[in-house]
Amino acid sequence: MNNVFLKDMAYRKARVILTTIGITVLIALILMLGGIMNGMRIQAQQYPTFTGANIWISAEGSGSAFIGFSLLVPEHLAYLDGAQPLKPNSVSPLVFAHARPVIRGKLGKAVVVGYKADKLGGPTQFELTEGRLVTASQYEGWAEADIPPREVVVDEKMNLEIGERILIGNKELKVVGKAKSLMFVLDTPLLFMDLRTAQEVLLKNSLHVNMMIAQAAEGYTPEKAAKELENFDEQLKTIDVRTLKQTLRDIIATYVDEPMKAVQFLRVMLWIAAGLIVGMITYVTTLEKTQEIGVLKAIGASNFYISSLIIKQVVLMSVVGVICGLILSYIFAVAAPIFVSIHPVESGIVALISFVVCCAGGYLAARKAIAVDPMVAFRGEV
Amino acid sequence: MGIVVEGKGLTKHFGEGDARVVAVDQVDIAIEESELVMFMGDSGCGKTTLISLLGCILTPSEGDVWIGGEQIDYENHDLSQLRSEKIGFVFQLFNLIPYLTAVENVTVAMDIAGIKGDEAEKRAAELLTQVGLNQRLHHRPAQLSGGEKQRVSFARALANNPQIIFADEPTANLDSRQSANLMNLVRELRQEHQTTIAIVTHHEGLKKDADRVIQMKDGQIVSV
Repeated sequence: MNNVFLKDMAYRKARVILTTIGITVLIALILMLGGIMNGMRIQAQQYPTFTGANIWISAEGSGSAFIGFSLLVPEHLAYLDGAQPLKPNSVSPLVFAHARPVIRGKLGKAVVVGYKADKLGGPTQFELTEGRLVTASQYEGWAEADIPPREVVVDEKMNLEIGERILIGNKELKVVGKAKSLMFVLDTPLLFMDLRTAQEVLLKNSLHVNMMIAQAAEGYTPEKAAKELENFDEQLKTIDVRTLKQTLRDIIATYVDEPMKAVQFLRVMLWIAAGLIVGMITYVTTLEKTQEIGVLKAIGASNFYISSLIIKQVVLMSVVGVICGLILSYIFAVAAPIFVSIHPVESGIVALISFVVCCAGGYLAARKAIAVDPMVAFRGEV
Repeated sequence: MGIVVEGKGLTKHFGEGDARVVAVDQVDIAIEESELVMFMGDSGCGKTTLISLLGCILTPSEGDVWIGGEQIDYENHDLSQLRSEKIGFVFQLFNLIPYLTAVENVTVAMDIAGIKGDEAEKRAAELLTQVGLNQRLHHRPAQLSGGEKQRVSFARALANNPQIIFADEPTANLDSRQSANLMNLVRELRQEHQTTIAIVTHHEGLKKDADRVIQMKDGQIVSV
């Protein structure tokens, strides 16, 4: 009679269902938290990779582009434009800063990207889904009295219409184009505008930028180019030069890994909770079944027979809970208000670890069961 | 007739020091094939402990047990297998598994002994028919009367053709009519299966059915 454990589960179905739901929810939460972190990682890398630059320059001591306070002056541009390790004419000054635009009267969040036309860092017509690129300013011959083009290319997910206006730093900007979905961490949309416009709305019209990006010259690897630029600047100590790979590592460490340490800790806690739920419920159920277990032992059931009854139940609940948890996490991911990316391999690993943790909880209950004294069969009533 | 179960110098104590209780004290006993033995005596005199020792549920503090002529080696014998194959138990409070039907409660004993499938179900149905429960095969314990539950218990005890059945107060929770019916059943089963049965009871009225009555007091046999 191989289905004794199934009949027992059917008899205690409320408890079985609750345990399975508990596992399901915990697994879904573990995967969702992982998916949120993955989503943040993907979005953190999206824009730097999109630029096509492999050299990232920020002010000395800023810790890297995107990370600390960095201000570079136009002289840096003149100096870097002639640097041998960099591809001629590839250096692009960039303003990249978080901003709180007012959209349809409501305060929103966005990252302003001020770029120089025809340089790295801005969208091309190819990346637009609607409208056009912003009008380019005359950057080189710029006079302070000149008014920069008050135009912006927004992310298509912002649901703005061409011609609509948004406010940044009390300056009104007209939406002229929509870019394909390009987000920064936590679904923060990018607002592309001319470099001078960004300097006007965010830097009180100063000619500073907070980073410059470039491509390594032919015959230079990004690592070699970065090293030579750093050596060249050793006396002046005015710039930090990093490769794309280093920059991505810095961004992920700063925007994802550090703030998500607590979330990682929470994931481990959830795993422990899953194990405890299964362990405790199975343990309490085992205590309730002491009499039955005692009877089975008295009539000859071996320790293997008893423990396999319990282990089979835990395995079945864990398998169903884990599968339902996987399905639920993918449903949550679709419905989530932020970008969530659940990786299939990670799902498999989470499922496996969760299964092992749940079974470990069941194993403790099985150990309790095999320790039951068959003499209890003579004492109470089932 | 051969000896089915034998105990020599059987002693069982629980606890240590001041808390030490001697439940069974230097008991020698032999139960022969097809015999119906009844253990009688006051509560706490050691009757249940003695059948637990003879049924290999408890390990004696001193003394030895033989089942079917084979001395039990408590270190190396698989006692659960021994109980499953050679010994049947009937308990005072029936102790049926609540989520299994009558037929499943019998087949589970065979399942434990490694007998599975149709063979087990067929035998379980036959045994339940013998104990008069052919109309209750698929009823759960909660749907059966006390007398019916105890009949299922006897069918379960007989499932693996044991050499002996130990029954602990099998009539204690039954009314007089159900008790009389159960003892009739015990007689029929003895005739049918030639099974050796050892019953622990307080009911003086059951004495008449016994081949031998063993009176116990303070852990010792005082008369046979």
